Amino acid sequence: MRFLHLILRSLLRSRRRTLLTILSLAVSVFLVAVLQGILGTLDGFAHNPDASSRVAVRHKTSLANLLPLRYEDWIRQQPEVDAVIAMQWFGGVYQDPRNFFANFAVEPEFLTRIFKEEIGTYSESGFRTFVKDRNACVVGQALADKYGWKVGTVVPLKGTIFPINPRLTVRGIYHSKRNADEMALYFHYKLLEEGVPRMKGKVGAFWVRVRNPNDVPRLIERIDHQYRDALEPTLSETENAFQLEFLKMLGDYATMIHTITAAVLFAILIVTASTMAMTVRERTTEIAVLRAMGFRGGQVLGLLMAEGVLLAALGGLLGVGLATLAAGFLRHSAGSLIPWLSDFTLPADTLLFCLHATVAVGVLSTFLPAYQAIRRPIVEGLRAL
Amino acid sequence: MGPRPIITCRAVAKSYFRGALEIPVLQGLDLEIPPGGYYALMGPSGSGKTTLLNLIAGIDRPTGGSLEVCGYALNDLDDDDLAAWRARHVGFIFQNYNLVPVLNAYENVELPLLLTDLGRRARRERVMAALAMVNLEDRLQNYPRQLSGGQEQRVAIARAIVGDPDLLVCDEPTGALDAKNAEEVMALLEHLNRALGKTILLVTHDPKAAHHARVQIHLEKGVLDRTVEANRP
Repeated sequence: MRFLHLILRSLLRSRRRTLLTILSLAVSVFLVAVLQGILGTLDGFAHNPDASSRVAVRHKTSLANLLPLRYEDWIRQQPEVDAVIAMQWFGGVYQDPRNFFANFAVEPEFLTRIFKEEIGTYSESGFRTFVKDRNACVVGQALADKYGWKVGTVVPLKGTIFPINPRLTVRGIYHSKRNADEMALYFHYKLLEEGVPRMKGKVGAFWVRVRNPNDVPRLIERIDHQYRDALEPTLSETENAFQLEFLKMLGDYATMIHTITAAVLFAILIVTASTMAMTVRERTTEIAVLRAMGFRGGQVLGLLMAEGVLLAALGGLLGVGLATLAAGFLRHSAGSLIPWLSDFTLPADTLLFCLHATVAVGVLSTFLPAYQAIRRPIVEGLRAL
Repeated sequence: MGPRPIITCRAVAKSYFRGALEIPVLQGLDLEIPPGGYYALMGPSGSGKTTLLNLIAGIDRPTGGSLEVCGYALNDLDDDDLAAWRARHVGFIFQNYNLVPVLNAYENVELPLLLTDLGRRARRERVMAALAMVNLEDRLQNYPRQLSGGQEQRVAIARAIVGDPDLLVCDEPTGALDAKNAEEVMALLEHLNRALGKTILLVTHDPKAAHHARVQIHLEKGVLDRTVEANRP
């Protein structure tokens, strides 16, 4: 502790340089924290424990190919199945193409049974009305809040994939554990089937709830085996696997994010190393004087290392602080464009990773110039200008 | 028989190497300095006076011979022991003062005491006493850039004596000062020698500065040329 003021004073030797280095570290850490947070949030959707007993069944060729609705009857008869619904991504927009959110045409009867974890609390009477009213819809609370919808509001949806523009009356609003699950709208599949001739008797996917999660692999195998030689063969997979496939449409985002993270960390390593090299070099004589005075090489190394680590830690803390502040903003801004991000969070382990990474940057960037400085003969250091 | 020398050099040699080329700077130099002595090392550039000073101060190693300073055979000490030895026994005064620019006068003087076990209060007493000795008690909070050259050198002297070393090594201590400040600094060193009994070894080109020493040692091409004792008490 008796050297603390020496370390702090040395750190503030060139205030502008120190401030700029801290800011560059903070911006980099902010970027790494946000990217890793995005990765964690997206991964959370592909590893959702609530989805462990749900299976998605779609056409083997692609999501764009349709399956016959009649498959639903056979699937429902399987002993492992608790409930099954036909479900079609509608892809409609509300008023403006920028008002993008998840909207599905579904068979309403078993909706809350299939998604009982996601559609957590809701008005029973509202949902009963929804089931009876073909022009009705149910929406999540977050979506309703975003557009100011209430029960009874008429929501005009403009189809972007299908040539219909349904006008839907909100009959129920539900609450979920996750914000992203509240950013969805469900309406009657019949409306789509009647409005779009090619959808008659067809659907994009079936969503199946299995009684026991242990039975999922067996059921998947049996469904796909059943329709293996059919004109429309199926591809069944867990909901998590389905989500993962969907996320892969964003590209190999994990590799992309890890690559950017590594590049950013390398860049801040270079920046900090350059700063520390400059700091140490311009103090060559001062270091020699300290050593002449009796400071051991290890002590001088320790002082310089402490300075570098403190510099990096300050940048890291500022970056983590900025990222934490920005998390809420990202939830609202990016969340409306990419629904998965409406639950964007910065997990504690991401923040810890960032702090550890910056401290490591501090250690790595300082060690070499500091070690070189203490290896330099004292008399040579005293002669340096 | 006189007191045991505080500095004993036996056949001290020092060479620098530029690739395979050996450049001898000191060649088998013998020297004894008694405790409380005030010696000036003089000679033309390249005669080896600063090299000898560095060897005696333990910040450089000889390539031959042996050195015993303040009771320690320096050849036998490893780098860490040598650092600890310097902290206890040697005070440095440099031509360019070499104060730490981000520390004020008080903190600069306190610096060597951070290596001791002294507590904050004891350190403060020592620092205040050292600054009083150089008449800078009123400049505690001033940073080096806020001091004149003479004041900076007096802070450096306070820093050198604050740990109560036996030996003060001064490398051209007046080289960057005007005549008036140079005279003040030399008077101060003389006082430290006479009143506190500090052994002083001074490298200088300045005959006026050397005149304050009681013995002048002239080096020429790495060997002792002559020794001149001042004809005064």
